[in-house]
Amino acid sequence: MTPRSRRAFLSASATAVGALALTTLPRPLLATVGSRPEPVPPIDDPRLKGLALRGVESARAAGASYADVRLTHTRVRNILSSDIQDTESMSVGVRALVNGYWGFASGPVWSPDELARLGREAVHQAKANALGPSRVVELAPVAAVPDQHWTMPVAQDPFAISPFQMQDYLNGVEAHFARRPGVVVGLAAYFVVQDKAFASSAGSYCTQRLYQTNGFCQINVISPRDGQRLQGGVDCLSFAGLGWELFTAPRLPQVREHTLQEEIEREIDAMLADHRLPIKPVDVGRYDVVFSPRSVAELVFSTFGPATQLDRALGYEANASGTSYLNKPLEMLGTYQAGAPALTLTADRSTPGAVGTVRWDDEGVAPDAFPIVKDGALVDFQTTRESAGWLKEYYAKTGKPFRSHGCACAPQGVDAPLLHTPNLVLAPGPAARDFDDLVADLSDGIAVKALVLEMDFQNVTGLALGRGVYEVKKGKRVAMLPNAGLLFRSPELWKGLVALGGAASARRYGRSDNKGEPVQSANHSITAPPAAFKQLTLIDPLRKA
Amino acid sequence: MSHHPHHDAIPDDAPRLLSKAQCEEIARRIFAFANGGETRVWLHSWWNGELRWARNRVSLASDRRDLTINVERVLDGVWSRTTTNQTDDASLQAAVRAAERQARRGVAGARRPPFTPPVPDLGRPDPAIWSDVTYGLTTEARAGMARRLAATADAKGLLSAGYIETRGGAWMHLSSRRLAANAPWDTPYVRWTQAQCSMTVRDPAGTGSGWAGGSGYDWAKLEPEALAQRALEKCIASRNPVTLEPGRYTVILEPQAVADLIEPLVGSFRRDIAEGGLGPWALALDQALGLWRTKLGLKVVDERITISHDPADPELGIVPEAGMQPVTWIDRGILTKLTHPRAYALTRLNTNTPVRWPIGYRMSGGETSVEEMIKTTKRGLLVTRLSNIAEPLDFASLLLTGLTRDGLWLIENGQITKAVKNFRFTESPLFVLNSIEQLGPAVPVFRPVKWPYDADVGLTPAIVPALKARDFSFTSTIDAI
Repeated sequence: MTPRSRRAFLSASATAVGALALTTLPRPLLATVGSRPEPVPPIDDPRLKGLALRGVESARAAGASYADVRLTHTRVRNILSSDIQDTESMSVGVRALVNGYWGFASGPVWSPDELARLGREAVHQAKANALGPSRVVELAPVAAVPDQHWTMPVAQDPFAISPFQMQDYLNGVEAHFARRPGVVVGLAAYFVVQDKAFASSAGSYCTQRLYQTNGFCQINVISPRDGQRLQGGVDCLSFAGLGWELFTAPRLPQVREHTLQEEIEREIDAMLADHRLPIKPVDVGRYDVVFSPRSVAELVFSTFGPATQLDRALGYEANASGTSYLNKPLEMLGTYQAGAPALTLTADRSTPGAVGTVRWDDEGVAPDAFPIVKDGALVDFQTTRESAGWLKEYYAKTGKPFRSHGCACAPQGVDAPLLHTPNLVLAPGPAARDFDDLVADLSDGIAVKALVLEMDFQNVTGLALGRGVYEVKKGKRVAMLPNAGLLFRSPELWKGLVALGGAASARRYGRSDNKGEPVQSANHSITAPPAAFKQLTLIDPLRKA
Repeated sequence: MSHHPHHDAIPDDAPRLLSKAQCEEIARRIFAFANGGETRVWLHSWWNGELRWARNRVSLASDRRDLTINVERVLDGVWSRTTTNQTDDASLQAAVRAAERQARRGVAGARRPPFTPPVPDLGRPDPAIWSDVTYGLTTEARAGMARRLAATADAKGLLSAGYIETRGGAWMHLSSRRLAANAPWDTPYVRWTQAQCSMTVRDPAGTGSGWAGGSGYDWAKLEPEALAQRALEKCIASRNPVTLEPGRYTVILEPQAVADLIEPLVGSFRRDIAEGGLGPWALALDQALGLWRTKLGLKVVDERITISHDPADPELGIVPEAGMQPVTWIDRGILTKLTHPRAYALTRLNTNTPVRWPIGYRMSGGETSVEEMIKTTKRGLLVTRLSNIAEPLDFASLLLTGLTRDGLWLIENGQITKAVKNFRFTESPLFVLNSIEQLGPAVPVFRPVKWPYDADVGLTPAIVPALKARDFSFTSTIDAI
């Protein structure tokens, strides 16, 4: 199949009739923006502002000191080789603050009367609790956003392309590899487009169109040498703030250097090369370890990711997934050594192509890029407008601006906003070196290509289950350790960081952050270079006591 | 008055769920948009009343509602599905058209699984799954309860965090074929409720943590004050734990810890996986037949253990489903049933009856109280619950790793002597169920529905005993409290 440009495709579909044209058109869900139902207007239609403000005004009239509204229209398309699944939903939520207590109400109908009901209900929820002991909320100041729209830039809008064309493309890649004896490749694609409108009593109104794309690739290879079945996958298809180009672009900065087909080809070669290495049992002990970018991203995701969520650190998630080892923020900020001096971790929601990227968060805050760990010292936490207030004293003392870092996220309008992890970037080292260079520097140690992390509920002690662990002698990978695992404590792990790969070696991965009661899932990206750590404990995780 | 009744304002005191008549009305409109073939509709409306608190203050109270409409078109034996949450004509018509396009595509591609006929309703009595108390629990009642529970921790200078959730839903499956034949609907209109209450109490220095929780369809049966008291006592008793060496210990697992440990076991009762030679229930490859034998009919755990469910069990409260029957997966230690879907039954067993998952289940117990177990233990550990249990490390032996959480104590000479720092364990529930010394009475534990938007999730109660077992393997200490 010859891929066509979007322009060519659109001009063709404008005149086409039948199934192909129909699939490319948005499905006409209804909303009542004025006095009667009509097909949902584009999210940047100025009339939606009046609809959203009905919720804000209703909550204010019922007694809210602050209120905000989120309208979402979400389309999900799942493309498997034998199936296409479409899901579409609209929802709206109103949040209200009364005497320090939050109330929230949400539902599936966009209409002025329903917005008014949700505003009243959110205040009802808040007031029922405001009868209790006093609770103080100081919202960090925010600049009002006056009527702006932002569309996440993607090269190929997946919802402007026929799903059958995409399915053919994936089937074509699968067929390409099926010609190779003993090789089976399975591909799937998953796309989300979300239109979102936000209004608040702080005077903001903004709308966004956000994209999320990810893929699934399973590679099965029968070794020509001994007939053994090998399983693998590529790591360039995790969640991204990209469109169909995640699959079709010749290369994507920080995601992959080659075409998808070439990445799969290389992975097959790597699987067969690994299979030629001798297999060794785990020799329990302490080793210097080099981690691939993917493994380092996983370590960041499972340690600092949750541990520097300010609400979690202060016990707001204690009854759910847990608390944090960074549990005294005001004492620790600026003084706590979170890692080696080479460690600098920044957060942002602006990296192009990252899945946590937005123009405004779900409180109307334009997120900033901010360091969480700077030269090894803990200097900040992930915050929202309310939680930033808990650090006001620290910001005043250090002369930092008192503001939210823009980490509020409501995955859908029906969900209440919650602090979710933004994009995280682990700063690369000064020298232009990659994973293989770091391995070459290792005279005796371990190299880790991929791992699965099992952390505790304060993200302090961890068990890494190896999914590609090598014994390294004199800079060469000499054996596979199929049952290897690593035990570590987060503070010691990061203090033992000895080398980082250069900027060109960094890769970006999308991950899901699950939190809250009820559980919400939100995605963010982590960018990390390969890294070398000293003296980690290697164990066999399958061994019982 | 609006032209479209479905976009009328919902009055503040309106029913929060679609009625049977509303479901049928929506389905009839969907059927009218379809051209030929069969159309199947699954409607599920839900309401959540929720309250979270932390640091002894309510952090969010919410009222949320939504619905899911799955539209399935079956054309020439090929089915396809789309999903929407809007009930207006234009949205429903668009959903029907999208499903049709995909079904037609399926005919051309010929790669879809074959359509299987629906299972006849075997006419089991409707179990109790609806509670007016749960559905009627007001915002004010949730708020008042949270204040009382948090105040108990506040009074002791401790920090509590907790969650109260009351939910209700209504669903219905409808088929155009049944409508044309003037036959009864495929499944009755089902209304369900679900309630949960859980609370964590921590001391402000972070040296102790206690938890207790309960779930079920009926809020009236949950006893939140008793749960709060237990969480409080566990927090106080767990403070300043000592470090013990990892190793093998006799353990007394409270019912919650037993449920946490055997969750992956009850999820593994799958015939297709066993016959594929994978997992704990595959026995050996029969060379002559070229098929995998399973462990069906073999003794796999202690003969005091039976794991079963009866859809009519009033304590389990299982959501009815076409074709449901009582199932006993393990009968007095012997593996007697593995689950399989309808397609398997039709093609391999020549029946039209699936065997269900242990959506809700009961595990047999004994008569020894936890106090008695402690008294008869020379040296061992008392475990409140297990947490962070991931995918099995080894599927064939069901070897798991996870953590103890919210209360772990050393027992010496029949008495609790010290709070102990948490451990990581590496152990298989199969090993534990073959090393049982004593069993307590089976009681309901905390096992709420995890993901409210998942259309395929049923209610998930579990009734399990406390147990004492030998040689439980703890592999490392962890720092988290």
